[in-house]
Amino acid sequence: MSNLLLLLILLPAAAAGVCYFVRSSAVRNLTVLATGAILTLASLGLLSHGVFEPIEVGSILGIGSDFLVTVLDFALLGVIFFYGIKHKSILIQAFTAAQAVLLAWFEIVMVKHEAVPALAGDQLSLIMVLVISIIGSLICIFAIPYMKEHEEHLHLKKSRQPRFFFFLVLFLGAMNGLVLSNNVLWMYFFFEVTTLCSFMLIGHDATEIATRNSVRALWMNAMGGLAFVLGMMLVYMEAGTLNIAAILTSGNQTALMLTGLGFLCLAGFTKAAQVPFQSWLLGAMVAPTPVSALLHSSTMVKAGVFVVLRFAPAYAGSFLSTGVAVCGAFTFIACSALGVGQSNGKKILAYSTVANLGLIICCAGINTPLALTAAVMLILFHAISKSLLFLCVGTIEQAIGSRDIEDMRGLYARLPRTALITIIGILTMMLPPFGVLLGKWMAIEASADSNIFIVVMLAMGSALMVVFLARWAGSMMATREEGGRCESQPTLTRLPLLILCLGAVVLSIASPWIYNSLLAPWLGSAPFMVGFGSLESAHGTFVVVPLFLVLGLGLLYAVKAGSGYRKVKVMPPYLGGANSSVDGTYVGPMNGDVPFAAGNMYLGELFAEGKLTPVFNALAVALIVLMLGGAL
Amino acid sequence: METLILVIIGLLVGPLAGGLIAGLDRRVTAWFQSRQGPPIMQAFYDVAKLLGKEKMVVNQWQIICAWVYLIAAATSVALFFAQGDLLLVFFVQAVGAVFLVMGAMAAKSPYSQVGAQRELMQILAYEPILILVFVGFYMVTGSFSIEAIWAQEMPLLAKMPLLYLALGYALTIKLRKSPFDFSTSHHGHQELVKGMLTEYSGPYLALIEIAHWYETILVLGLCALFWHTNVAWMALLLAATYMLEILVDNTMARMTWRWMLKRVWLLGMGLCVVNLIWLYAG
Repeated sequence: MSNLLLLLILLPAAAAGVCYFVRSSAVRNLTVLATGAILTLASLGLLSHGVFEPIEVGSILGIGSDFLVTVLDFALLGVIFFYGIKHKSILIQAFTAAQAVLLAWFEIVMVKHEAVPALAGDQLSLIMVLVISIIGSLICIFAIPYMKEHEEHLHLKKSRQPRFFFFLVLFLGAMNGLVLSNNVLWMYFFFEVTTLCSFMLIGHDATEIATRNSVRALWMNAMGGLAFVLGMMLVYMEAGTLNIAAILTSGNQTALMLTGLGFLCLAGFTKAAQVPFQSWLLGAMVAPTPVSALLHSSTMVKAGVFVVLRFAPAYAGSFLSTGVAVCGAFTFIACSALGVGQSNGKKILAYSTVANLGLIICCAGINTPLALTAAVMLILFHAISKSLLFLCVGTIEQAIGSRDIEDMRGLYARLPRTALITIIGILTMMLPPFGVLLGKWMAIEASADSNIFIVVMLAMGSALMVVFLARWAGSMMATREEGGRCESQPTLTRLPLLILCLGAVVLSIASPWIYNSLLAPWLGSAPFMVGFGSLESAHGTFVVVPLFLVLGLGLLYAVKAGSGYRKVKVMPPYLGGANSSVDGTYVGPMNGDVPFAAGNMYLGELFAEGKLTPVFNALAVALIVLMLGGAL
Repeated sequence: METLILVIIGLLVGPLAGGLIAGLDRRVTAWFQSRQGPPIMQAFYDVAKLLGKEKMVVNQWQIICAWVYLIAAATSVALFFAQGDLLLVFFVQAVGAVFLVMGAMAAKSPYSQVGAQRELMQILAYEPILILVFVGFYMVTGSFSIEAIWAQEMPLLAKMPLLYLALGYALTIKLRKSPFDFSTSHHGHQELVKGMLTEYSGPYLALIEIAHWYETILVLGLCALFWHTNVAWMALLLAATYMLEILVDNTMARMTWRWMLKRVWLLGMGLCVVNLIWLYAG
C-alpha cells in the first residue's frame, strides 16, 4: 500500500529527473511511456486496495518527512520569488513574500508539531488519482509526437523538450500528492508545486506573450497560495489540528473556522480559474496543446475544485456553502455566455472548462449527497471529454495550421478520423446519455432544492453551452470525396485519442456501476438506487443503460442508413435556381461565378468578450466578498 | 408491463395524433384566411408522397442527422409516456434538436446554414424556460418524475399559472410558429426559403416531418400535465392552448432573433421566476 503511494507520488518526480538530465529523446520517450504505464497500473492497484485510513509517512533518507516538506516549501517559495524578481512582477513578489512570512510564523510559533498522518485515501481521492494518473499519462504520451512536430515548426537550435517533460511528468506526481494529502501542510506544498509547474509550462515557448501570460498565471495562483496559507492558519486556530480528516469530522462551524474554510475555497477558486480569475487559464492557451489539455482536464484546475470539494463537509449548511454555490453558478453562466462569442477553438474549450468547473463548485456548495455525486461525476467525465477535445484541437491545429472553428468547416472531408473523434467528443460534452450530461442532470435536480438564483443560472448556462458546442460539431461535417485518402496519424497520437474517445463512451454506460462501487460508499447516505442500469433517486430517474441501448441502436441504424449514401444522389445546394457549374458558387451579376459562404453567428452585440468580462469580473468579486463576509 | 404498453401507445399514437393535428392546423388556418384548406388527412398524404420520392442530399451527414432526430423525438415521447423523468425527457428531446441543427449545418448551403444558426437561437430561448417549468413541477410534487404528478389532487394550473404562460411562450418557439418561425419559415420563397430545412428533401424531409409530429405530441403532453385530474378539462386546456398557438401564428409577423431573445429572457424568465418564488415561499 505505502509502496503504491510512494510510486504514485515519487515515481513521476524521479521520471521527471530522468527526462531532464538524460538528454536523449529515445530515453525520454521511453521514460514517459513507462511512467504512464506504471502510473496507470499503480492507480488501478490503489483502487483495488480500496479506501485506507490516514497513514503516517516515516522518514525519507533519515530526514523526517514533515520536516522535508517544510524545507521544500520554503525552497519552492524562494524559486517563485526568484521568478517574481526575474519578471519584475511586484505582485508575485508581494504574494510570495507574504506567504513565506506567514508560513514561517505558522510553522515556528503556532503549530504544535504533533504527528499527523500525512496521507489518506477516501473514494474521492481514489477517483482523482485515477483521473490524474490515467488521463494525465495519456496526455503525456500524446505530447511525445506532438512536441517533436511542435519544435520542428519552431526551428529550435536546442530542444527544450527535457525541460518540458520534466514539468509535465512532475505535475502528475504533485497532483497525486495533493489529492492523497491528509496533512494540510502537505496539501499546501503540493498545491504550490502545481502552481510552479503550470507557470513553467505556460511560459514554455518563451515568446513574449507566453511569458506575459505565465506571469499572470503565477501572480494569480500566488494569490491563491496566500489565501491557502491564511485559510490554513485560521482553521488551525479554531480546530487546533492539521489533520484534514479530523477537521472534516469536527463539526465546528464558528465564524473563524468558516472564514478559514472560505479562504481555502478562495484558493480553490483561483486554481480552478473561477471568474474573476479566469484570465490566467485563458492565457494558458498560448502553451503547447498537451499543456492546455493537462491543465484543463486532469490537473491544475481539478486541484482547485478538489480543494473546494474536499472541505465541503466542513462547511455544509452554512452561509459559506450557499456563497460557494452562488459563485460557482455565476461562473457557469458567465463563462457559458462568454463562450458563445468565441470562434477560437481553444478559447471555446477554455470557457467551457471554466463553466463546467463552476458547475462542479456550485454542486460542492449545494452540498447535498445528490449534489456531491454530481460534482464527482462531472469531474470524472469532464476530464475525459475535455482532454480528448484539447488533443483533437491540437491535432487539427498541426494539420491545418489554425485553431479557428471557421477554418474547421468541412473538416470531415480532409481529416475524417480526427473530425469524427472531435464530433463524438463534443457530443459527449452535451448530450445524453453521456456522463457529462448525467452530471449536469444531477446538478440541476440537486439545485432545485437549494436556491432560485442558482437554478436560473444553471438553466441559462446549460442552454448557452449547447449553442457553442452544437454549432462547432455541425460545421465540421462534410461529404468525403469518393476514394479520398485516409488520413495518417502517428500511433502515439491515435492511441490516446482512441482510448479517450472510447473511455468517454464506455464509462458513461458504466456510470451506474461507477456510482455504486465508488461514490455511494463515500457519501454515507446514498442518493441513488441502481436498478436495471438506471440511477433512481427521490428526485427522478436517469435510465442510463436503456437509453444507451435505444439511442445507440438508433444511431447504428442511422449510420447504416447514412453509409448507403453512395446510392443517394448528392446534389449541389439550393441557390434559388442560380447554381453555376463551379461547386460552391452561383451565377451572379454579369454572369460571373460568385462564391457563397456562411459563418456562425457569434452574437457580438450580446456576448462580446471585451464588453462582458469587466462586468462579470466586478460581479464575481462582489459575490466572493459576499461569500467571505457572510462566513464571518 | 403497464409501462411497456404505455410506451407502445405513445410510439403509435404520437405520429398519428401529431399528423392529425398538423392537418387540423392547416384547416383552421385556412378558415382564418377564408379559404377552404386541404383535407385533414393531408399531412399524411404529404409524408407518404415524400417517402416515395428519390433520395437526394447535399451531404451524407444529413441522412444520419435526420434519422437521429426522428429516433430522439420518438424516444422522448416514449419516455414521457413511460412516466419518466421530465428533465431526462427534455434532454433526450434536445438530442434531436441538436442533430437537426447539425444536419442543417452539414450542408454547404447558405440558406440552411443561416436557418441552423437561427434555430440555435431558438434553442437558447426555450431551453431555460422549459427547465424552469420542470423545476416548478418539482417544487409542487417533490419529484421530477411524471408519476409524482398523477399523485397530486389539485390541477397544477392552480399553482403554476405563470409557468403555464411561460411554457406557452416556449412552445411557440419550439414548434417554430410565428412570430418565432425564423429558422424554418413556414411558407416557401420568403427570405430564408425554408431555413434549415431547405436542403432536406424526399424521404429525409418526411422523417423530419414525422419527428415534428412526435414533438408536437410531447409539447401538448407537457401542457396536459397542468390539468391531469380531469380528462375533459385537460382536453379543453389543450384545445384552447393549441387554438391560441394557431391564432398567434396567423396574426403575428415574423420577428428577429434579437427581439425573441430579449422578450423571452425578460418576460418568459420573469414569469417563471415570479411563479417559482411563490412556490418556494409556499
